[in-house]
This record gives sequence, structure tokens and C-alpha cells, in this order.
Amino acid sequence: MKRWRLIFKRLGWALATILFVVVLNFFLFRIMPGDPARQGIRDPRLTPASIAAIRVRFGLDKPVINCFQSLNPVKLGDCNVNPLDTQFFIYGRNLLKGDLGISFYFNRPVTEILRERFWNTVLLIGLGQILAIMLGVVFGLFAAWKARTAVDYSALISGLVAWSLPTFWLAIILLFWGTSVGFPIGGKATPGMSSYPLSQQFGDLLHHLFLPTLAYTIIYMGEYMLIMRSSLLDVLAEDYILAAKAKGLSVFQILKDHALKNAMLPLVTIIAINLGFTVAGAVQIETVFSWPGLGGAIFESVARKDYPVLQGAFLLIAVSVIIANLLADLTYSYLDPRVQVD
Amino acid sequence: MAVQITTKVNPPNRFEKFWVTMRGNPIGLTGLVMLVSIILIAIFAPVIAPHQYYTSGDVSSSDIYNAPSSTHIFGTDDAGKDVFSEFVTGARVSLIVGFFAAFISVAIGGLTGIVAGFFGGRVENVLMRLTDIMLVIPDLPLMVVIIALTKPSLLNIIFVIGIFGWTTTARIVRSQTLAVKSRKFVLRARAIGAGNFHIIRHHILPLVLPILVVQAVLTVSYAILEESTLSFLGLGDPTAPSWGQMLNFAFSRGAMSTGAWWALVVPGLGIVWVVLGLTLFGQGLEKVLNPRLATHHLMPGRPVLAAKSGTSVQAKKALLEVQNLSIHYVNDEGKPPARAVENVSFTLERGELIGLVGESGCGKTTMMLALLRLLPAAGQIVDGRVFFNGKELTALSEEEMNDKVRWSGISIVFQGAMNALNPVRTVGEQIAEAIIKHIEEFPRDQVQTRVVELLDLVGITADQKDNYPHQYSGGMRQRAMIAMALACNPQVIIADEPTTALDVMIQAQILELLDSLRKKLGLAIIFVTHDLGVVAEICDRVLVMYGGVTAEYADVDTIYNQPSHPYTQELIKAFPDLTKPKKKLSSIPGYPPQLDDLPAGCRFAPRCPSAFARCHIEQPTLHKLGDTHLASCHLVEVPK
Amino acid sequence: MKQKIVYILVLAALILSACSGGAQTSTVRIGWSNGPDSLNPGVAWLAEAYTIYELVYDSMYDLNLDSTFTLSLADSVERSDDGLVYTFKIKPGIKWHDGQPFTAKDIAFSYTLYKAHDDFPTLNSYTEHFVSSEAPDDTTFVLTLDQAIPNLESKLVFLYILPEHIWKDHTEKAAEFENLEMIGTGPFMMKEYKPNEFIRLEVNKDYFQGRAKVDQAIFQVFASPDVLAQAIKTGQVDMVTELPNTSVESLKSAENVKVAVGAPFAPGLTDIIFNQVAPENCPSEADGGVCSGHPALRDKQVRLALAYATDKKKLIDLVMVGYATPGIALIPDGMGEWFNTSIKDFPYDVKKANQLLDDAGYVDANRDGVREMPDASRDLKFRLNWPSSSIIDPRMAELLGEMWKAIGIAVEPQAIEDDALTSKCCPALDYDIMLWGWVADPDPATLLIIPATDQIVTGYNETGYSNPRYDELYVQQGTELDHAKRVQMVWEMQQIVHDDVVYIIPFYEQQVQAYRTDRFTGWLDNQPKLALEDVTSIMLIEPVK
Repeated sequence: MKRWRLIFKRLGWALATILFVVVLNFFLFRIMPGDPARQGIRDPRLTPASIAAIRVRFGLDKPVINCFQSLNPVKLGDCNVNPLDTQFFIYGRNLLKGDLGISFYFNRPVTEILRERFWNTVLLIGLGQILAIMLGVVFGLFAAWKARTAVDYSALISGLVAWSLPTFWLAIILLFWGTSVGFPIGGKATPGMSSYPLSQQFGDLLHHLFLPTLAYTIIYMGEYMLIMRSSLLDVLAEDYILAAKAKGLSVFQILKDHALKNAMLPLVTIIAINLGFTVAGAVQIETVFSWPGLGGAIFESVARKDYPVLQGAFLLIAVSVIIANLLADLTYSYLDPRVQVD
Repeated sequence: MAVQITTKVNPPNRFEKFWVTMRGNPIGLTGLVMLVSIILIAIFAPVIAPHQYYTSGDVSSSDIYNAPSSTHIFGTDDAGKDVFSEFVTGARVSLIVGFFAAFISVAIGGLTGIVAGFFGGRVENVLMRLTDIMLVIPDLPLMVVIIALTKPSLLNIIFVIGIFGWTTTARIVRSQTLAVKSRKFVLRARAIGAGNFHIIRHHILPLVLPILVVQAVLTVSYAILEESTLSFLGLGDPTAPSWGQMLNFAFSRGAMSTGAWWALVVPGLGIVWVVLGLTLFGQGLEKVLNPRLATHHLMPGRPVLAAKSGTSVQAKKALLEVQNLSIHYVNDEGKPPARAVENVSFTLERGELIGLVGESGCGKTTMMLALLRLLPAAGQIVDGRVFFNGKELTALSEEEMNDKVRWSGISIVFQGAMNALNPVRTVGEQIAEAIIKHIEEFPRDQVQTRVVELLDLVGITADQKDNYPHQYSGGMRQRAMIAMALACNPQVIIADEPTTALDVMIQAQILELLDSLRKKLGLAIIFVTHDLGVVAEICDRVLVMYGGVTAEYADVDTIYNQPSHPYTQELIKAFPDLTKPKKKLSSIPGYPPQLDDLPAGCRFAPRCPSAFARCHIEQPTLHKLGDTHLASCHLVEVPK
Repeated sequence: MKQKIVYILVLAALILSACSGGAQTSTVRIGWSNGPDSLNPGVAWLAEAYTIYELVYDSMYDLNLDSTFTLSLADSVERSDDGLVYTFKIKPGIKWHDGQPFTAKDIAFSYTLYKAHDDFPTLNSYTEHFVSSEAPDDTTFVLTLDQAIPNLESKLVFLYILPEHIWKDHTEKAAEFENLEMIGTGPFMMKEYKPNEFIRLEVNKDYFQGRAKVDQAIFQVFASPDVLAQAIKTGQVDMVTELPNTSVESLKSAENVKVAVGAPFAPGLTDIIFNQVAPENCPSEADGGVCSGHPALRDKQVRLALAYATDKKKLIDLVMVGYATPGIALIPDGMGEWFNTSIKDFPYDVKKANQLLDDAGYVDANRDGVREMPDASRDLKFRLNWPSSSIIDPRMAELLGEMWKAIGIAVEPQAIEDDALTSKCCPALDYDIMLWGWVADPDPATLLIIPATDQIVTGYNETGYSNPRYDELYVQQGTELDHAKRVQMVWEMQQIVHDDVVYIIPFYEQQVQAYRTDRFTGWLDNQPKLALEDVTSIMLIEPVK
């Protein structure tokens, strides 16, 4: 029963945070100087009538909220307008309907744009994280177990170096090398692949996934290896490991039954948080490899001042992170019996 | 925990200690060297950079993206500028941004953490919620957005990076503050009426500072990486040539397709160098401030050295026989080893209970671990033999120890049972594990019944079987450990201070339990303790150790009524006797010897009230005083 | 690490299997760094979108790469004497991509749609003077204007004809229609579209001007021009629409790659603008006027000195790596006959520049290297701003700073985020010097409107320049139907702007593209304008035998 209380409490907090982020999101992007007609600022063909019509289409003619016509520049307005007719409430209402607005740049619903990009990012990062976790845990385990030997030192150094690499730089170097040995220069698929048989499409996808996944894995593997190593070093120095040894268990048994679960606990939290940032985390890699994901969408949208897309992306990321944190908390409390449930 | 008290007169000051520890810390040292080198380069940039005064008059399009040559050792960039000069100047910008941004982050984070941890309650709640929200918002996109909104100047970038980097620091500092806050000296300070600010400044801050320093180092590397990323994404200040900005120009102006790898590799390596240096240095610092044990329990042990002293063959009929056992702790730094146990012998018969008495650090636990060959990585049996059931324990392999001796032959109840039980597994599981491992023929479906039986034996009810160690009380845990030790029907149980830190009532229970078990099951028990009262109650024989050697070895009556070794005598004297009124409490002045710096002669001599000249020169041998009474003291030497 | 080697081997096997087997059709793959922003012709801004429209749709006229126009859908056109009515005779037998017949009614529908929608940002402005669009029968189209305007072709060339039978359901919210199927009459049909990834077009075998020689065209988006250069080198694409100028040298020596240079298809203007608004012309506070410009810039002598001190050759060499032509007039040299070739530019003469400033009274009295105003009230220190999204502007700003330092002028360089820059520029006029630029139209009027006095308030006049003679000429050329006379006027306007040193035009950027010689031949790289992706070029290429 106590567990349910914990879950409800966490859920309540998560919802409150999401609400906060929604409000923050809204005001943040109204404070930005953004204009759907901005593309044509240096185009003399854009008439004032056009600018006005465009603003109406995007709902920007309505006051931001009671008493404020606009926030950038700050223009006061009528405090007595119907609050339901302000941008703030229209935004909220649309949000509940699942409508994230229309992209300034593409003139398409933001939800469509984000949906396409979201799964692309999940694919890339999901694969990268799985590999990073597997490799990181394995190397970290060996490093800790064989502490103070050559295995440990080389694992430690490579982990630290991987952790110190700027992501975009690693991506560029890999791209440089990769294209010279035949890997594609970017993108998710060779255009026109959809008319080829599925097996070839799959192979083409792997071909395109290789370099960005490699970059991603290297960066995160370093982090996970370092955490696993230090965590396991701590665990292996605990008295219950000595007790297990005294019980006559083999090293393999001790690692499997006693050390691993304890050592993985901090890793679980970090992994969950990283997964939450999955949707945002790949900005650099997606940019360099032209991978059509959410990170790339964010970066492009900033360059284009496409605020509806940014707004939607932020919300999506925040929600993912909050959910991931929630899952991390719950998983952790499930794994570690010491966590108090009240 | 054994604390070696140094006998040096001048304790080393903080810097000396720091330097000594860093010296033995190759990782931290490497990091420091890397950092210092790049900082020097940055400081002396104007002197080093050969082409820093760039005028367009000297450059034309043919100078664009020139490969490294004697005039331009790192080649030229997209504007024809010397990459080396740009690199060296860029070092300043990158480092300045990194340090100042990190300063802001650490200041905010540290302040938040301390305030939240110290004041607790609503304040902590609010601050931690704020931290959580900051963590939830993806920082790179938001940074990108904010810089796009304000102007891309160096100051803005420093500020933006600064306000995003504080969350981790805040969390860590808060945990540390919480831990420190409840320590005794803080409570004492409060009790005498010290104000909050005073407490924070004088008690909390010094203990939080080390963690803050480590965090600061790591935050600088984070800041430098962020700055380079932001510049690469085009949000940097194009008038300030940081390394990230160099990469931005290179990537956007065709370095890759032109094959001008130097324009990309050089600034990138600069970043890697600094960040790696900071990370290594941070790792090194952390090791210093948070010294994790340099070893763990799964490290391979050292080989047992061949016995040099003579051993008697016929006495092998005892259940357990220890002959002239000597154990050293090897020292990495070339100093002489700590001679933890030297030339100790004793025997144990079936059903016998021997008490092993001595001060902390006298070698008792070391010797017990050695019996099960569980010495830590630095420990080594350098002489002597151990026989168990006629088999030479000290010659067995690791597998043989696991299969035949550990737990099924000899089991051990550790000191401090809380840590000896794995907190994430139920007590029942951990007992069952031992059964399954050693008693192969045991029918699986009956394992749980057996576990319940064992728990019942020690007075723990069956419904506790599936609980976790933290749900047991201290006394229960100790009893559970005993149950576990019995699980495989061993012949010998080593009980290492099983009643320390338990209250007197529980203590009595456990003693009774052990005694009754011994009688019921015919166990032999080695009872390690420093409490003579306990010894008097249940032991048959007593081995008194001092400084790693046998002081006296006799049956319990002899020890109490005819103690021959001065140390034993002092121990008996120090023991408060309720029957004798108003006897002044005596204690033994002085401190136990440092095992890697032992005095010549008798180890007890410095503290012995009966010591004379010979005691300080010659180490006494074990003299036989009766059939079963041995003592190592010059005073009891039977004259020839 | 072994794991990775295995991974690579597995991939190699898959790659080999993926590479073998492919369609027998000839497919040209074109790389660019940006995809179309929308498939709806009404709402798109980007040149890439227009490239696709040109391939999929037709309009009344084709714009050739030598800046001339050719009738497309019509056989002939007649203009009434008062210049208000145009009657087109439409070619019979044209079909839409979905098989439906094309008639003049579709043209009428399309023009009416464009006119009705204010929220079609660019195309709406072309219909400014349209009064009615009628189709009395299937092969006759009549356009009536409210004013006789010159150069109607330039207005019609981007008004793509849309199929009434598809768009009639979207007339209300036409700007929201995604138009993913893109049914047109053009030489290519839309087959597959992945936003910001690629577009795949198939040839229209029944195209009324004759089918193109290739079967398929794929336009693929890559991260940056640098990546494009890599792509053409490694043969992953057959042509790229842009390149970083710095990579041209290395590409020239690459195998089977040819680099082409020419004027850009959509001529753009790069300029250095000076805030020279007279206080009486400053927009009111309500209209957003700030007018914080340095007073020295209102003095033509100062601007002239700056012009003399600007080494355009050096800028072209270092900033554009030589791929630009020297800038002179407001109209770029790629606009054919509209460009005034008679203007003599101010040469690079530092001595003369210094002399001008000395004579005008701007001396460096306190010997700090920077001149002051004649009344010694201020240093000649100017804020120099540019959009933070530009990668060449920082380099240009650096060089300009140095060049002007040589004549005692100091600059305060600062990149500003694009939107913020715009709001500082105009109509606020809250700057001193900016690195600016405009996108142009085939018709020069869109650029000529900029220095007009009545545009100060609207924000198009970025400098606050005001010249009654110029304003007069602008009005005149807007209604002059005699082509030769109009050209005269346009030339005179350019001369005025040049003589008054309203701007410094450093250069006209050239278009640099590349194509592989071992895949397709026939690329149209010998025209004044270079746009290998343009429909005229795509129609001509065929696979190398």
C-alpha cells in the first residue's frame, strides 16, 4: 500500500512540474522576438497587409494574456478582455487537444514534424544507449574487478578520454574518416530506397546508422564505464563481499549475486536521466550527420526562429525527462529495499 | 577501526600532506601537469604566438587553408591566419570563459546546497524543487535560445553557461551538508549557542570545501565543453577567437572538404587536452579527499610463503592447529612491511572454546582472516602452517578452500554484522545461499525449511525470514549472522567480537547462545574479544596477544589467577571488579606499537611497568610455565 | 575492439547487397543544404522550394538564365493599347499530372486565389495591380490590370498555375494546405517527399514542351555546404547547388568533378549600410524611430572616405576566396541589362581617403589614432553590426575594421541575432554601420524601392536616405511602358545612389556549383547565370554513354 502512495506522490509532483514547464514554455517563446513573417524581413515584396494576414493566421493578433498585448516589445493591453480569447488560453486549450500549433517555417502542424523526428531520434539514441550501457557496464566491471592492473588503467584512461571529447568534434572526425571509407555522408536513408526490398532498406539504414551510433556510443560508454567502475569499487570493498568470500562463493558467483545489483543502482539513475534527455541529447550528433531527429530539429528551428516547433520540442523533452525521472525513482525504489516508501 | 597514532612530533601541514598524496597519485599529477602547461601557454600567448598581429595586407587567398609548414606549424585557417597563433590566443578565451562560468556555477550551486542542507524544511524543499526543475529543462536547447535572444558576447556566454551548471553541484553539496550537519561537533556548537552563520562558516564550510573544490574542477571542464559546443553551433562571439569559434569557422567554411584537417584537429585537441587535464586532476583530487580504499575484497591474494620455522608433526591430531604463523602487510612505497602477526601458535580441539584477547590492532582479526585465507591484497602469510582436520590449510588452492574449508569446515561471524549482510537481499536468501553452495545433496524444496530452523535456533521467528537486514535490529542481525554461520554444519566457528556495540542484555543472550550451541552441536569456537569479562564466562583457554605476538597462552583459570605476562596482569588489573570496593581504576598508559616500525626487543617494553634493560634489546621467546601455560616474557624465563 | 570489427564486416556485407540491384532508370541526384520549406507555392520563402515548383508546375512565362522571358503555357499574348488588358492564347492538349485536362480556367482560378490571399507573403504582392482574371473559353485567358505596368512577365513568372479541381476544396484556408501531392503540369512529377531529407521527382513523359531526358531527379538535403563538397567528391551525388568557396581549389583537382561559376539565379545584394537619416526624416517614437546614428555618417564626405578606404579586391579575395565580382551599384551585375555598366567606382585609395577627411575637418587632435568630429565632440567610432547567422560577415567585419583603422576610423564590432538586428535597423535606425543584404526579384523595382523616402517609415529604407529626385524617378519607372526609357531611368537611379555613397557595395556574390562529369552531361554552365538545378538545365542533361 505504501508503494502506491509513493507512486501517487511522485506522479502528482511530475504533473505539477509539467504544468510549470508548459507555462514557462509559453512565456519564454512570447518573450522571444519571433515573427512568422520574419523570413521576408529583407524581402521588399512583403506588404504590410501580408504581414498582418500572416499574424492573424498564427493567432498572433490576439493579446498574449489579460493586460498584455505582447511581451516583445512589451505592450500593455486591455485588462478586461475575455481571458479565454487570449493566446495563453488558446495555447492551453490546444495543448489539451494535442495541437501544438503550426510551424512558422514549414507551415505544417508541429505535432507532425515532431512525431517524425522523435522516432528517428529514439532509434539513434536507443541503439547508442543500449550499446553504451552494455559496453560501459562490461568494461567498468572488468576495470573494477582487476583494479590497479593494466586492464584497469587502460579502461580508466580510455573512459576519461572518451568523456573529455567534445561530442561535435568526435562526430566531425568520425565523419571525415567514415566518408573516406565509404560510409554515407549523412541522412537516414538513401533517397529512393523505399522502392527497394525491405532487407535492402534495412541494410541501408544500418549503413547510415553506423557512424552516428558509433559517435554516440563512444561518448556515453566512457561515462557509464567510469560510473560502473567507481560504484563497483565501492561495493567490492564492502564487508558483505568479504562475507560472501568467506562463505566459499566463487568470484563469479560473488560478482553475479552480490556485487552487480548493488553496483548498478547509481547507474540505473544516470541511465534513466540520460534516456530522458534522449530526445534532446543528440543535437550535436544529428547536426553533423544530418540525422533527421529531434535534436537537429531544435537546432534548425533556433536558426530559423521557428518558435512553435521549439516550444513543442521543449515540452516534449521536458515531459520525457519527467517521465524518465519518475521511472528512475520507481525503479530505484523497487531495486533498493532500503529506500523508505513513505 | 584501528587507528595508528603517529609518534612524530610535528604533524605535516595541509600542503605537505597534499603534495605527498598527489605524488603517489599518477592520474591526478598527470592532470595537473596538463593543466599547468596549457595555462602557461595561455598566459604567455602574446609572446609565443608568432603571427598574432594579423593584418590583411600580408594575406591573400592563396594563404587560405595552407597545410602545416615551417612558417605555419599548424597551417592556416579559412582567413589565411596562422592556426598556431589562433590556437594560443584562443586558449585564453576558452579558459577564461571556462573558469568564470564555472565560478558562477559553483558559487550558486554551493550556496544553494549549503543553505538547503543546513536549514532544511521548507527552504530545502523549495530550493531542491527549483533544482529539479532546472534539471528537467534541457540545457543545451535553452542555452541556444537564450543566447539567440541576447547578443552573442563573451559575457553573455559566461553568464548563460554559469546559470546552467549549478544543479549537480547543489545536489552534491546538499548531501554533504546534510551528512555534516548531524555530526557531533556541529550539535555541540549549537548547544553552546553558536549562531547559524558562525556554524556554517567554521564547521560546515571546511568540510564541504573539498567536495566543492572537486566539483569546481569538473564544472570548469563542463563549461569549456559547453562554450565550444555553443560556439560550434554558431552562438559564440565571433570577435573572440575561442577554440570553439575556430571549429565553427572551420566546419562552416569548408575545412573538411578541402582536406584542411589541421583547422579541425588542432582546436579540438586543445579542448580535449584541457578537459582531460581537468578530469584527471579532478579524479586525483577526489582520491585525495575521498580516499576510497585502494583495494577491494576480490583482488587476488598473495601466495603463502613456505614455512621456515620448524613444525611439529605429531600435534596434528587437534581439530585446528596453528603453528608459528607469521603474517605481514606488504607496503607499496618501499617501506618495511607491517609485521601484523609473528610466530603465533595455538590449537583447538573439538568442542573447545578459546578466547583470543588483545587490544585493537594487535593482530587478532588478521590472524582469523588468515585461517580462512581471506587476507586483504596487502596481507601475506610469510611463515608457519595451519592444519585443519589434519590437512594443511596453508597449502590449499583457492578452489579447494572454497569447496572444503570455507563455511563448511570453518565459518566466521564478523564484527559489525550490519555491513556483513548484503542490504539488497533478504536474510533468508543469504542463509539459503550458503546451504545451496555447500550441501549439494540438500533437496531444494527443503532449503527454506532448513533456513527457518536455523533462524529458530538463534531465536528469530520464521516471519522474519524474508525481511531485509535493515529491518532487523542490531541484536537480531548478529544472531542472524550466527545462524548463517551454522548453516553448513561447520566444525569451527570464529566469532570476531560478536558482542561489541551491543547492549549488555543482548550480549548476555548471545554468549549464552554460543555456549549452548557449542554444547549441543559439539562446535569449536574461537572467540575474539577485548573484553575480559566475557572471556571469564565462557572460554576454556585464552590466547593473549600483544603487538602481533603471543603474550600469554593458558587455560582460563590460570590466566585469571596466575597471570604471568605483565600485559595480562595489567589487563586483569584494569578490569573493574564489583566485589572490591573503591579500587582505583587503572589503565595501561601509552599506545599500541606501530606494526611497521616496531621497537627492538619486547613489543610491550615501552609500556611495561616491569621492563628492564634486556627487554628493550632482546625479544623474549615463549617460555613454558606449565603443561599448557606459555608466556613470552624475560621475567618468567626459567633459569637454566 | 573486436566487437566493432565484426560490426563492420556485417555492415560491409549488407552494403554490398544494398548496392547491387537497382532500377534501370537514369536518376540524377542533386545535393543541397536546405530543403523546400513548403510544397505550397503560396507560402514558401526558400529558393529551394521555388526550384521544385519550377520543375513541377508551369507559369505563364519561363525565366531564362540570361534574364529573358519566354512564353510557356501560351502560344501568344496580346496587350491592349492602354496596357490594361492582356489576352493569352493557351496551348491546347496540356494535361495535369493526374491526367485531368488543363484549361484556361485553371489559370483564372489560380490568379484569383493568389490575389485573395494576403497571407501568401510573396506571391500576393505580384497580384497588386490585378483587377480580374477570366477564362472566356478553355484556351483563352484574359488578365485585366488597374494600371499599366511595365515588365508584367516578371510578375507572372512565379505565379504557378494550380489545378482548380484539387485546390477548389482549399480556397478558404489555402495557406494551410500542405499540397503534398503537388499535381502540376510541369516536366516532373512529385513522387516522394521526406521533409528536410529529400524529394524524389519522376519525369512527366507527356510534358507539352517535350519530355526531359532523365527519368528521375532526387534532391537530397545535407548538413552544410562543406558536407556537399565531400558528397560530390565521393560521388554520393551527381551535382551540388552550392559549395564553400574555400573548397573549390581542392575540388578542381578532384577526379571527374567540374566546378562551375556564374551569377546567382536569384540575384542578391550584399551591402554595407550607413545610418544617415536626417533628424527631420526620423520616424516618430510611436512608429518605432530611435535614430541613434553617429552624426558623422550623415556627412557624405565621411562615407566617401570610407568608400575610398575599402579595398574591395581584398574583400573578394579573402572573404569570398575570389568568387565574387566587384560591387558598384544597387542593382547586381547578374540582372542583365538593368545593371548600370557605366558607373565608375571609387578606387581603393587610402591617401585620398585621408585627404578627404582632413579637408572636411575630421582630424585626430589628441593623437590617439582615431579622428574626432570637427567640433571635437566625439571620436569617429562607429558600431559595426551583422547578423549572427552569417559565417562570412565576421571575416568581412574584421577586414573592414582594419582597412578603416588606416584612415583613423574606429569600429565596435558586434554580431547580433538576426531578428534583434532587424529591429535595430529599421525603422528604428538604431545603429551606425551594418553588414546587410537583400534578396532581389527579376524585376529591379524590388531593389529600387529601398532608398525611397516614403520607405523610411515602413522600414525598407534601412539608411534613412532621402532624395526627391530619386523618389521622382522611382514613381516614373513604375509606370513607364517604354522598355528603353525605363532602363534609362533605372540607370540614372543607380548613379544617384552611387554618387551619394548611400551604401558601399563590396561585391556581388557568385554562385559556385559542381557536377560530376562521369554521370551526366549537358549541364547548362555557359549562361550568365548559373543554376544547374534550374528546370532549364535539368531538361537538358542526359546520362553519359
